[in-house]
Amino acid sequence: MVRSADKNELLPGTLEMLILQTLNGGRRHGYGIAQRIQEISDEVLQVEEGSLYPALQRLLVKGWVKAEWGTSENNRRARYYTLTPAGRKQLGTEAENFNRIIAAIARVMRTV
Amino acid sequence: MSLIGQAWRRLVFLLRRRQLDEDLAEELRQHAALKAQKNAAAGMDPEEAAYAAHRQLGNVTRQMEESRQSWGFPFLESVAQDIGYGLRGLRKAPGFTTVAMLTLALGIGSCTAVFSVVYAVLLRPLPYQDSPRMVHVWTVSPRFPEFKMGQSIPNMNDIKALAHSFDATAAYETRRMNLTGNGEPEQLSVPAVSPGFFAFFGVHPVRGREFFPEDEQEKDGDVVLLSYGFWQRHFAGDPNVVGSRIMLEQKPYTVAGVLPRGFSFPEKSDAWVPFVIDPKHKTERGRWMYFMLAKLRGGVSLPVAQAEMDGIAAGTARQYPKEAEGIQFSLVTLQEATVADGRDALVALLGAVGFLLLIACANVSNLVLSRGLKRQREIALRAALGASRVRIVRQLLTESLLVACAGGFAGIALAVVGIQAFRALAPASFPRLAELRVEPTTALIACIITAFAGILCGLVPALSASRANLNLAIKEKTADAHLGRLSLRGFLVIVEVALALVLLTGSALMVQSIVRLLRVDTGWRTDHLLTASLNLSKTRYGSADAQRLFIQRLLDALRAQPQFTGVAFTNNSLMAGSTSLTDFDPATLGINDKKTTLEARSVSPGYFETLGVRLGRGRFFNDHDVKGAPQAVIINESFARRFFSGQDPLGKILKFSPNPADQCQIVGQVSDTRDISLNAQPRLQVYFPLLQDPFSGMTIVVRSALEPSTAVAQLQRSVWSVDNDQPLTKVQSMSDVITTSVAGPRFRAWLLSVFAFTGLTLTLIGIYGVISYSVGQRTQEMGIRMALGAPRSNILRLILREGVVLALAGAVCGLTGSYFLMRLLASQLFEIKPSDPLTLSGAALLMVTVALAGAYIPARRATKVDPMIALRYE
Repeated sequence: MVRSADKNELLPGTLEMLILQTLNGGRRHGYGIAQRIQEISDEVLQVEEGSLYPALQRLLVKGWVKAEWGTSENNRRARYYTLTPAGRKQLGTEAENFNRIIAAIARVMRTV
Repeated sequence: MSLIGQAWRRLVFLLRRRQLDEDLAEELRQHAALKAQKNAAAGMDPEEAAYAAHRQLGNVTRQMEESRQSWGFPFLESVAQDIGYGLRGLRKAPGFTTVAMLTLALGIGSCTAVFSVVYAVLLRPLPYQDSPRMVHVWTVSPRFPEFKMGQSIPNMNDIKALAHSFDATAAYETRRMNLTGNGEPEQLSVPAVSPGFFAFFGVHPVRGREFFPEDEQEKDGDVVLLSYGFWQRHFAGDPNVVGSRIMLEQKPYTVAGVLPRGFSFPEKSDAWVPFVIDPKHKTERGRWMYFMLAKLRGGVSLPVAQAEMDGIAAGTARQYPKEAEGIQFSLVTLQEATVADGRDALVALLGAVGFLLLIACANVSNLVLSRGLKRQREIALRAALGASRVRIVRQLLTESLLVACAGGFAGIALAVVGIQAFRALAPASFPRLAELRVEPTTALIACIITAFAGILCGLVPALSASRANLNLAIKEKTADAHLGRLSLRGFLVIVEVALALVLLTGSALMVQSIVRLLRVDTGWRTDHLLTASLNLSKTRYGSADAQRLFIQRLLDALRAQPQFTGVAFTNNSLMAGSTSLTDFDPATLGINDKKTTLEARSVSPGYFETLGVRLGRGRFFNDHDVKGAPQAVIINESFARRFFSGQDPLGKILKFSPNPADQCQIVGQVSDTRDISLNAQPRLQVYFPLLQDPFSGMTIVVRSALEPSTAVAQLQRSVWSVDNDQPLTKVQSMSDVITTSVAGPRFRAWLLSVFAFTGLTLTLIGIYGVISYSVGQRTQEMGIRMALGAPRSNILRLILREGVVLALAGAVCGLTGSYFLMRLLASQLFEIKPSDPLTLSGAALLMVTVALAGAYIPARRATKVDPMIALRYE
């Protein structure tokens, strides 16, 4: 689950999309994913670490990401996640849906 | 595609679960380490940094658990877990498992067997193409309102011309023919059939050809088609049989073909000949002796077709008031006509096995309940550890389903035996027996019943166990939970007693009815009689004189045998369910009464003496009542009472038609007899001398001083001494004929008794179980009572009262149920009312006694309790 910094819950399913988006830039380990999301969102979005790993397992089962062990920048063993072609395709669909919803919400918010 | 890919990945993950588990654990450790590093960089001291990292990461175990949910098939795994757990539990309780399994096997097995029979006989369409659309077109006349008759040729032609509801019709006439010329003469069933008959059924000869329209000439046809069975039996399946000749009725017939295996319509046909219509019959509108079949046009329903028939019948009745007054054409589906005889019996059996299954389920339910009580702590613990109620119910249901499955397997074995036994023991007249076999449908039926039984006997205990009060259960010894549960158990026992009592009254009524049937006074002595039927060939004995001569010569031949103390012929069979009727108008006697029908029987001299029918007035027929002598008739008591109340009937003339040849003088009056069947009330009856008006088809009756079976050869020889080509069929002792005639009700009574006995036994076990349990629970209470000085007899009474209350409550429900349900049996009962008070109270008494016996054993045990031990208990 992803929470914004003021503890508001986001739309369900957003975490998986955010993970896919983060991995779109290249392979990362779990900690890296969480850090990256916080960083990009200027600390607005905090990934609850408790839900990160179960979400990653779901993505593995769906075949959208794959995992392999590697060595991290500071020479630690780390499990790196990469986007699969299916995952990239899924990201496209989800991003499109997301944009549509955001646009819709924005339209609603603009009207007085 | 992606779903398949996903399932595949799940499977791979499932197999690599250990590896994944380790990976995840390490990943989480790394994550915490990185986090701690970051915290430390932010200025925390190392220990606090690690601690904070773990806090932020949250419940690791839970995350692992949640992650695992994505691998493999969590639902299926939990089902497998339930099954494994259930199996372990059942293995640990072999007594419970065995009793529950056997009980369910009895219920499921008998239900499966009877459902299979019902399916094969009542529900499955007849094995002909388009069979659901086939109907019989019967004639119903106000002259013989209780009978369905065939069609006359002119009426049949009118129906064919006028009806739009049918797209095909066929006709046949049943005939018996004597086969000679090859070994012992034999009588065959050889129906004469219309040209489209086989096409109507969608069958074609496996060898040779069908009948051509030119076979149906107004000369005698000389071709014959053989049934598969007859071809095998008589020609040993000779492939070159087409074109060979057989002698039927002393005339050569050429074999035109052989019909496929399994086709035998009307039932038990040996061969078929083309329809050759006697030119006289083409105009006789009242000669209803041809059976007509029709196939409903697609989309035409039976009521619509029947409405059209009603219109046609009304037109016929208007146009020919003399021959067709009040006539009706009645449509009955072929399926209905075929299975009607079996329906009542099967419906009764279906009810019986349904009850038996419910009793078995109630019993197992009770067993599971008491097991659930022993496991209360275990269940409460699981609930306390977070198992949801659904999960607990599912676990308990899985166990019941496992028991039901085991019972189902045993039940299938039982059903297979049951179906074979049904086939072997059912009376030969039972419809469609030949089609009855164990088939895949049987297994399907068993599966459905098993699932039903498993859920039925598991649901109540599972729901009740899962509702347990955690606090009380963990502390154990919960007075109120126990009371609530006991009443549920008591309720189940009441249901069992009620159901078993209904079964018991049903079987008691059937058994009594058969006993009364066998004891009924027939008005004649049925012992030491041997009967046989013979059918004189129409070519050899075409004239009445030839038939008379044969009868006279055979009578003399049989009378010469000292072994036979009585010898007689009659035109109709005895105790085989059929008879001849004749119209009678009382106005011809000057009596103002409506027209009626009489049972008419032609008999040879010696008939009444041989059977032992009592003479009321006048005389029996003798050797002087022959052609040329005055037409004589003998009446029965009922006839005399109805039309000559008090007066002497002797010498009066009965006119059966204006023709002087049909006017007979009453020479005697005999007592009433039951000669059609044991359960048919004697009717108004007249007897004619067979030697004045002979018939070609006859039944021989001889009274033998010795056991009738020893006289068979002698009888056979005597017939052949008169005509070497004359076959003799249905050679049986009269007691065998009677046994066969009651085979149906006897079979039903027997089956119902088996089911009732099983139900009674299960109920006994059920009551025993409940009372035993209650005694076990109340051991402490018994100890206190005894310690305070209660005599053992008080304790005994206390426990027995519990059983009596349950039994009485059940008996009241059961009696009420019987009172309403037994009416459905009324048509199958003989001289006993469905609500016969003696039977109902007798069955209830037996039921309560059995219940008491079931309660007595545990009650005795309660009185043996040692107060000291009982008080220390717990």
